[in-house]
Amino acid sequence: MVEQIIMALLNGILLGGVLALLAFGLNLIFGVVKIIHMAYGQFVMLGFYFIYFFYTAWHIPLLLSMAMGIVAMGLIGILVQLVIINPLLKAPRLNQLLALASLIIVVENLAQVIWGADYRGIPLTMPIIQFGEIFIRSSFLIAFIGAILTLGLLYLFLNRTYLGLGIRAVAQDLEMAKGVGINPNVIYYLTQATGGALTGLVAAFFIPIYTVHPHFGASFTLMAFVIVVFGGMGNLLGGFASAFIIGIATSVTAVLSSKEIADILALVLFIGMMMIRPQGLFGTES
Amino acid sequence: MLEIQNVTKVFGGILALTGVSLKVGEGSFVGLIGPNGSGKTTLFNVVSGAFPPSKGNVIFNGQAISGMPPNHICRQGIARTFQIPQPIKSLTVAENVMLGTIFGSQQIGTACGLDRAREEALQWLDFVGLKLDPESYPDRMTAGDLRKLEMARAIATRPKVLLADEVLSGLNRDELKDASGILQKARDELGLTIIWVEHVMHVLMKLVERVVVLNYGMLIADGDPASVSKDERVIEAYLGRH
Ligand SMILES: Nc1ncnc2c1ncn2[C@@H]1O[C@H](COP(=O)(O)OP(=O)(O)OP(=O)(O)O)[C@@H](O)[C@H]1O
Ligand SMILES: [Mg+2]
Repeated sequence: MVEQIIMALLNGILLGGVLALLAFGLNLIFGVVKIIHMAYGQFVMLGFYFIYFFYTAWHIPLLLSMAMGIVAMGLIGILVQLVIINPLLKAPRLNQLLALASLIIVVENLAQVIWGADYRGIPLTMPIIQFGEIFIRSSFLIAFIGAILTLGLLYLFLNRTYLGLGIRAVAQDLEMAKGVGINPNVIYYLTQATGGALTGLVAAFFIPIYTVHPHFGASFTLMAFVIVVFGGMGNLLGGFASAFIIGIATSVTAVLSSKEIADILALVLFIGMMMIRPQGLFGTES
Repeated sequence: MLEIQNVTKVFGGILALTGVSLKVGEGSFVGLIGPNGSGKTTLFNVVSGAFPPSKGNVIFNGQAISGMPPNHICRQGIARTFQIPQPIKSLTVAENVMLGTIFGSQQIGTACGLDRAREEALQWLDFVGLKLDPESYPDRMTAGDLRKLEMARAIATRPKVLLADEVLSGLNRDELKDASGILQKARDELGLTIIWVEHVMHVLMKLVERVVVLNYGMLIADGDPASVSKDERVIEAYLGRH
């Protein structure tokens, strides 16, 4: 039993890394473009299908298929900005939310039409790492390391490049950013491309772990949303911390009771936070 | 070099500017005064592109700029400071100024090397005499330092025209001298054309060579400080309110 809990703890941390990546993307888009990307998890599903398609239909080597999936999702991010967000930039909040929520329906049904309702996956055998009585799937470990490295790179991008500086400026004060010559549209497209590419990357990490189906994304949208709100909307550090909190809490609960109870727990934590600290763990009151 | 042609700005039912025309020559130092709500900031907003005029045009170096987005106008060479200084709190003091050096210049990205942009930013901080640690965050700054940072960021975009909105408000006597000295220096050493909105009249009148007065969105006087301060309508505009 103790080993099982330790393993669940480890898996929670490993999964937390990938969730942190997802939360980062959602947070970045919210912070910069000021919209809640309601279909963010569905984009992971789409990325998964893209990689699956490149690999099985076009027989492109897996790693290259993954790279192409990441690029494709980046382009889709740009498309979302162009086709959905730009026309609604000045529209009421609710219209933006509804447009993005309807994107869920579009993406899920598109997947259903193209790839059908079957579960699809790329069968891979990845070694299992063993420490005494504790087993870790190497696919989880790779995903975790990849996610943490990516987050590190994103941190450097935001803090050590001039585009990163521009992104942070637009996120904090659009008027002032425009006043010093920053073109907000460039920043919006860049942010959407980054956010989209991240869903492709998460999909690539998920390839050895899951199989995909048209409704695969829903739970990740919910998870990412719970994490982001729990940590404080738009707060990158908060999202990072709460990804691990939620990841560990759900993973341990799943072992102790069941997956369903774990999902309930995530929502209970979420609602509890809303009642005690509506601005989230790291959010500042406003 | 800057020509405001018959600019009108309506907000809902409010006429914030009514047919304002103004020509400003290169290198001039113009004071723009008027009672609260007379439309001074609105005029800056129109010139800098924050919003388009309802009617009229703004011509800069022979080119119509009204209707252009503010980021374009900034890169054409018109910078502004905001009436309420707004540094970005999650960026360091140096980074706030770097925004200007990087994005305000004509060729974005040639300053890819952040190090060069930082060096330049440090020079501007020195220019305005801001003595804070450039790597600190601008969350607990004095009013005087905030104004200096605001001016450093605007000047860092290497403008030809600087629109300075109330850079003296809320400052103590020493800070007044510092802040107005920066404008003077920007004009003399950098050759900037400056339009300066100010309520602290005794400082403004000593520095500028021309004063333009707005009242209820209309331009009611335009001339050298001595004659404007004797103008009947100007006196009435100010006294009528107090
Ligand atoms: N964005 C806006 N929307 C609606 N009304 C506005 C807006 N900006 C300014 N106004 C109105 O236009 C008029 C002129 O305001 P403006 O800010 O230009 O005055 P000001 O001369 O800068 O005043 P102050 O000296 O107090 O800064 C005011 O009646 C103001 O309420
Ligand atoms: Mg004003």
